[in-house]
Amino acid sequence: MANKDPVRVGVLYSKTGATSTIGKSQLQGTLLAVDEINEAGGLDGRELVPVSYDAQSNPSTYARLAERLIVEDKVNVIFGCYMSSSRKAVLPLIEKWNKLLFYPTLYEGFEFSNNIIYTGAAPNQNSVQLAEFMTANFGARVYLVGSDYIYPYESNRIMGELVTQRQNSAIVAERYVALDATEQDFEPIIEEIRNLRPDFIFSTVVGDSTACLYRAYAQAGFNPKTMPIASLTTSEAEVSQMGSAGTGHFTSAPYFQSIQSVANLRCLDGLRRRAGEDCVPNLCWEAAYFQTHIFANAFRQTGTDSLPQLIPNILGSEYDAPQGRIRIDPNNHHTCLYPRLGVVNSKGQFTIVREASRPVYPDPYMVTHSMGDWAAELSSLEL
Amino acid sequence: MEPDSDHAKPGLTSAQLKNLRQLRVVVCHPDDADGQQLIQQLRRIGCHVQAFWPPLPQLPELTEVVFLAVRPDSISMSFDWFGGDEGPTIIAVVNYENPTIVETVLRVGAKATLPSPVRSFGLLSVLVVARQVHSDLKQQKRQLRKLGGKVLGVRRVEEAKNILMRSRGISETVAYNLLRDQAMSKRLSVEEVALAIVSANEIMSIGKQ
Repeated sequence: MANKDPVRVGVLYSKTGATSTIGKSQLQGTLLAVDEINEAGGLDGRELVPVSYDAQSNPSTYARLAERLIVEDKVNVIFGCYMSSSRKAVLPLIEKWNKLLFYPTLYEGFEFSNNIIYTGAAPNQNSVQLAEFMTANFGARVYLVGSDYIYPYESNRIMGELVTQRQNSAIVAERYVALDATEQDFEPIIEEIRNLRPDFIFSTVVGDSTACLYRAYAQAGFNPKTMPIASLTTSEAEVSQMGSAGTGHFTSAPYFQSIQSVANLRCLDGLRRRAGEDCVPNLCWEAAYFQTHIFANAFRQTGTDSLPQLIPNILGSEYDAPQGRIRIDPNNHHTCLYPRLGVVNSKGQFTIVREASRPVYPDPYMVTHSMGDWAAELSSLEL
Repeated sequence: MEPDSDHAKPGLTSAQLKNLRQLRVVVCHPDDADGQQLIQQLRRIGCHVQAFWPPLPQLPELTEVVFLAVRPDSISMSFDWFGGDEGPTIIAVVNYENPTIVETVLRVGAKATLPSPVRSFGLLSVLVVARQVHSDLKQQKRQLRKLGGKVLGVRRVEEAKNILMRSRGISETVAYNLLRDQAMSKRLSVEEVALAIVSANEIMSIGKQ
């Protein structure tokens, strides 16, 4: 007799706290995919049931709730985490109980766990492209500003290595602000930018304080045409929090809402019918969406979410995601993605100015990145 | 809030990290879960990896790092490439921690150990730190050899000066100038001339006293 029991999975994002805007969108991406899966007959007739908790943007809460999902709710698979600190808090528990985490966020690389599938970009899939574009179009004197944690430190190291491969390059300053920084905290930074006049600003500020940086920049009267902010984390979600202050600034990401593919338009349409206009789709939303389908497809192959059977069916699997056909790399558990560069337009959306025609293989352990070897992968659209 | 500027400047990534993708690594480990985990993680890091078991008496040319399983059944092994400063950096992979095994780890000249079960996390740090320790050690030993030679040379010059001063009744400055002129005309170092004088003096002194 066929098993008709529901399949429970853990869902662990932040609905509150500093990174809740992205967290809520990742939750909606996951739930959208869950709805689609259940509408299509579930996992061979078994309903997929998400058990979701609010991790409150706090690493220790992530750890506590991950263990609760595993021990009390008895899930084998968790979808979740945003900041690296949250992933690092969950990782030992996932490994201890031998469960599986799907992590839908770009991060700084240098990690591999048998128990994690990484569906966001590694630095070779976003930083290299951003550095090449910014230095080619604006110059190589860069001002680095980020939130005070590990992802900005390592991203800045990579950006520093990349820009210093250019002529007349300089890291004019490297500054960090608290995760809950307000507009006031950016005042000394804006003043310094005014004095140092970099060619561009590389921001690894994450969460709600992102909007504060862009607003402080706009209030200072700086011009994005000559000294834009470049980022890997400023998505549609953060732009929606800053009014018109985002216009003219650049972001490198594998997904933008403005992608005109059939898969993306269908997915956005489905989202609007379910969540209304309440959700702001972005790169992390998209990763949260497609990774749930990757899981469901692997489950259907083997009929279980027990790891030894599930993982071989995830590794090497492909999916027609909104960004394009992605693939989970069997060697490093990261994902082959499509780097893109977007500039924020007056509607708060990204106009895509560069786009990879083929997926770029993830290389999370790349210490020294070099520019140029990926250029053929990107086609110039407009600027 | 004052912007924080305590972080190291970017662009200063150390050579040991930058070299990882050129690194030639030999894994001497049985082909089990640990051995496979080790090889796979080294490949993710991007090293050039070759695997052998049992260990080879002679390593492939240009091997820079060896991960060597030190196990109860292999404690008697002994190869020329153990412990040599100019040889590869050895990292012992251990599944016991008793004195017999730890003694063997010391004997093979390991610069770091990796505990079993091997996890992917931690391997990169062990690899980089062991490489750095080995490289620092090599450099220090080279420097020590050079300094040792220098000290010996200075002692010989002193001795040679004394011989000249005694035998010719000249001042220290004149004696040194004599040594230096001789060195210049014979295209030798002052230390070499000094050595010749000291040796000659020893021979001339045979039977005296």
